[in-house]
Amino acid sequence: MRQFFRALARSKAGLLGFIGLIFYALLVGVGPMFVPFDNEVKTDQVNAPLGSRLKLVTRAADAARYPSLASLEGQVVGYVSSSGGETLVEPLEDTFDDTEDYRRGAGVEDGLEELTDGDIDGFVLFSESLKTYPIGPGSDFPDLTVSNARLAPPHLLGTDTQGRDILSHIVNGGRTLIVTALLAGLISTTIAVIFGAVAALVGGPVDRTLSALANFILVLPKFPLLIVLAALFTLDNILLLATLIGLLVWPALMRAVRAQVLSLRERDYVEAARALDLGRRHIIIREILPNMMSFVVVNLILAVTAAMYDQIGLIFLGMAPINDYSWGVMLYFGRTRGALFSPDSASMVLAPVVAIALFQVSMVMFARALEELSDPRLRTA
Amino acid sequence: MQTSKTLTGPPPLESGWLSRVVSSYAVRTLLQALLTIWAVVTFTFFLIRLMPGNPIDVYVGFLMNQSNLTYGEALQQAASQFSFDPNASVFQQYLGYLGDLVRGDLGTSITSTGTQVVDQIARFLPWTLFCVGLGLLISFVLGMTIGMLIAYYRNSVLDTAVSFFASVLGAVPDYIWGLLILVVFGVQLGWFNIGELRGTYDPGLTPGFTPAFIWSVVRHAFLPVLVYVIGTLGSWILNMRSSTTSVLGEDYVNVARARGLTPGRIATTYVGRNAALPLFTLLAVNIGLVIGGSVIIEELFVYKGIGSFLFFSISQRDYTSMQGVFLVIAVSVVVANILADLLYSSLDPRVRIEGER
Amino acid sequence: MTGVTTPQGPVERVPVLEVENISVAYAAARGAVRAVNNVSFTLHKGEALALIGESGSGKTTLALALIRMLVRAAKVTEGRVRYVKNGAAQDVLGLSEREIRRFRWSECAMVFQGAQNAFNPVLRLSEQFSDTARAHGKGDRAWVKRRTLELFKLVRLDPERVYNAYPHELSGGMKQRALLALGVLLDPQVVILDEPTTALDILTQRAIIDVLAEMQDRLGFSIIFISHDLALAAEMADRVATMYAGEIIETGTVDDIFYEPLHPYTLGLLRSVPRLSGSQDLISIPGSPPDLISPPPGCKFHPRCPFASERCRSEAPPLEDFGAGHLAACWHTDRVVEARQGLWSDGAVVTRG
Repeated sequence: MRQFFRALARSKAGLLGFIGLIFYALLVGVGPMFVPFDNEVKTDQVNAPLGSRLKLVTRAADAARYPSLASLEGQVVGYVSSSGGETLVEPLEDTFDDTEDYRRGAGVEDGLEELTDGDIDGFVLFSESLKTYPIGPGSDFPDLTVSNARLAPPHLLGTDTQGRDILSHIVNGGRTLIVTALLAGLISTTIAVIFGAVAALVGGPVDRTLSALANFILVLPKFPLLIVLAALFTLDNILLLATLIGLLVWPALMRAVRAQVLSLRERDYVEAARALDLGRRHIIIREILPNMMSFVVVNLILAVTAAMYDQIGLIFLGMAPINDYSWGVMLYFGRTRGALFSPDSASMVLAPVVAIALFQVSMVMFARALEELSDPRLRTA
Repeated sequence: MQTSKTLTGPPPLESGWLSRVVSSYAVRTLLQALLTIWAVVTFTFFLIRLMPGNPIDVYVGFLMNQSNLTYGEALQQAASQFSFDPNASVFQQYLGYLGDLVRGDLGTSITSTGTQVVDQIARFLPWTLFCVGLGLLISFVLGMTIGMLIAYYRNSVLDTAVSFFASVLGAVPDYIWGLLILVVFGVQLGWFNIGELRGTYDPGLTPGFTPAFIWSVVRHAFLPVLVYVIGTLGSWILNMRSSTTSVLGEDYVNVARARGLTPGRIATTYVGRNAALPLFTLLAVNIGLVIGGSVIIEELFVYKGIGSFLFFSISQRDYTSMQGVFLVIAVSVVVANILADLLYSSLDPRVRIEGER
Repeated sequence: MTGVTTPQGPVERVPVLEVENISVAYAAARGAVRAVNNVSFTLHKGEALALIGESGSGKTTLALALIRMLVRAAKVTEGRVRYVKNGAAQDVLGLSEREIRRFRWSECAMVFQGAQNAFNPVLRLSEQFSDTARAHGKGDRAWVKRRTLELFKLVRLDPERVYNAYPHELSGGMKQRALLALGVLLDPQVVILDEPTTALDILTQRAIIDVLAEMQDRLGFSIIFISHDLALAAEMADRVATMYAGEIIETGTVDDIFYEPLHPYTLGLLRSVPRLSGSQDLISIPGSPPDLISPPPGCKFHPRCPFASERCRSEAPPLEDFGAGHLAACWHTDRVVEARQGLWSDGAVVTRG
């Protein structure tokens, strides 16, 4: 173990990766205890007649202060769905999904004008200075009021389209992803090691069948197949998702394991074990597996990164309705709620992007360092 | 004086491209590919048809509710769209499906009524093949050049920096790079207008070999191609680096230097060509990955290729289109694999011999 | 056996390669590894010089220094290499990058050990012959083809077949012969052969040696032959130089070295050659070659030498002439003369060529 750390310290990239992984372990393991998930929607609240069409307007002077909402500017953002009392305005996804026209800094006057023209029934006003702003004083809708719950604590990474703290989402949004990816990696590695070892040791038709299966899965376009499967099943269950991904990732490692076992089998100590008639199970478990440990661990790590890719890709496309709010879901909302295209809401997209990228980089760097440590040929090179 | 020793060894190969193409290696590769395609077709058929809660049952139910049809009428309509005979056994349906496929019939779209799935694919597939092909070509050439360069200067500062950079490139998912480029260069810095770059070319242009159209196509393809390049470049660099490093230690490179060959000749024909060989097997793997990833990339950039069309069919629950598109993507990957294989065998004479034996 | 020029009676002794006081050092973490130390020798036209010694004695490094193919970490620290052609001398170490590239192979070809891998696996042999010629400005295709086929015939390969073959289609012995043919393609004056027959079976070795002798006879090049196979060296060479720890410690004609060795190390090498009769015990030299970063003081061989005295430990013996060009670096040649009695008395397998 000490040797491992000493060698790690020598490989700078490996050390970086290792530190990165510790950081992520703390972030998703301990982080949520200190930074609870912020699910309090802090968009403006509206008091308006039932069925009113609400439009978002930001005062020109205040536009810069509401970066996360700029993309909704000028859009019909929702309908008042219940009468009486304060009604939450949930942005309607359809309304701004595909719009290219993002106006900024429209004034209250614009909104009032449209209000008078009857284009809309009310508008949601964002203003720094006023907590509650009566809509259209002297207009036909005296009963419409809008309040803006200004985001009280400071937000390190800003807020999303609903005024929720992005940092808290980053802290809380990694665990499910990483657990699922680890699970998928473990499943695929287990299958790969078992199939690879069996194919190499049993040989004959078993080997041919398993190898043909691996070759077949290898040419299947994995990601399109996953989204087709996602259309047939509902992938709302971590275990199911992990299993599906795991079932599609194993072939590459299986072939490598098979080749390794075939070459290890020829080595002296395995020959000796065979001569001693120690039995196939013993040979696999005692002699061959330990010699492949580092190789398998490196591939496990790489399988986890591959699972991350698939999983986040599915969530990003909205094909895996996982309930937990994750970095992937943040990207999904970033895209569907227009944050992606708004200069002021970059944080909503960039934060999960950076979180995912650094995690993947840490994993790969660590795997590469492990690879170098375990391969004396690479160590000297 | 001829000794018997000179007559041993394998028989000489005939030269000429014709014999090379018809050599049994190529034939075997093709047969294997056909087998794989058949397996993919079968897999797709049973995936769509025989799964519990399969889309056909769902669609029949939908038709019965929607159009007030009887089960029989609804099944008939579904069958015509999925192009199978409802009265036949599953095996016969499967044979019929195979027959239709051979004739190039993938059924009609469910949501865009009356549209042949084949026509839809013909409309979208070329754009994806264009972008993926171009992206892989650029990154392959670039990655090989850079990888070889840093192998020549291995353990220098340049090597360390480039290797690190390549690891980072390869580690981060391509769509994450795409998002980063969009947000940073598109939205923040405003270097390009994302809204204008949607689709495969500017609306209102007539396709043709006009400068305006070509320029438009290039502009629209730029971002997807860039992302495909970024997404695969790292692995080319690292693989070429390790491959070149081992070739540089080979006797024949040393001998070539002793033979007084020019450094340029040694770098290209002796080091480069041998070091590139293992990369061609990786090319096949990468083609599959990139075509697979194109679903997300095209969705991200709103590029109307086959990937975004697959996503569209899925979100529309258009199962015939979905099935056809998946099949076509799978077949493209298989075909790309063969091409990479044949390319590899044409570059490495040793492979041809293995096929002979 | 074959018509190798006899060392005592060459018609004229024209030098082609004069090596003067050459030293090579490798930069290593612990310090400079002095792989070759003050080595001098002259190679004459048509002559075959064998360099013998254990692995690590600096034979290959010396040869690489002659064609300036040393690895980057190694430097020639002193000395001069003069190459003479048609009476004009060239300073090899002073040639520019371009000139040394032209010099290699056309003037001095080196056939490395491990011919199994000496050819580019993706090019036909014909291409590898023609690109060698082209690199030296001999781009005339017809000439190259004619010359290549001629040489294949000379090394007893089926010319037409091998010409269009890929390397993997040839057996090990065929590759080695093809490499010899390639070595003399540009008619060099000097051919360096580094363990040309290792990894070949005994019959193939035999064939290669025969081919080599015939080629030298026909083409008249000089050979530097590096080997630890003494029997081969005895057969191939006119003169022999024994190397130990980067120095030439004895040099002379084949007869001198094999029948009247004057250095205890040479004697030790000869004793370690297995005999057919097997009557004499095989004696290997005790100990291992010295550390070349901090070699022992005095004679570098003294820690392993049975005759070592106080003088050997403090004072390095010079390379002295013991008559007729037989040079040795030892304080106690008299004791070696005594000890060598009966060296081959049991019927040696080493025969003169």
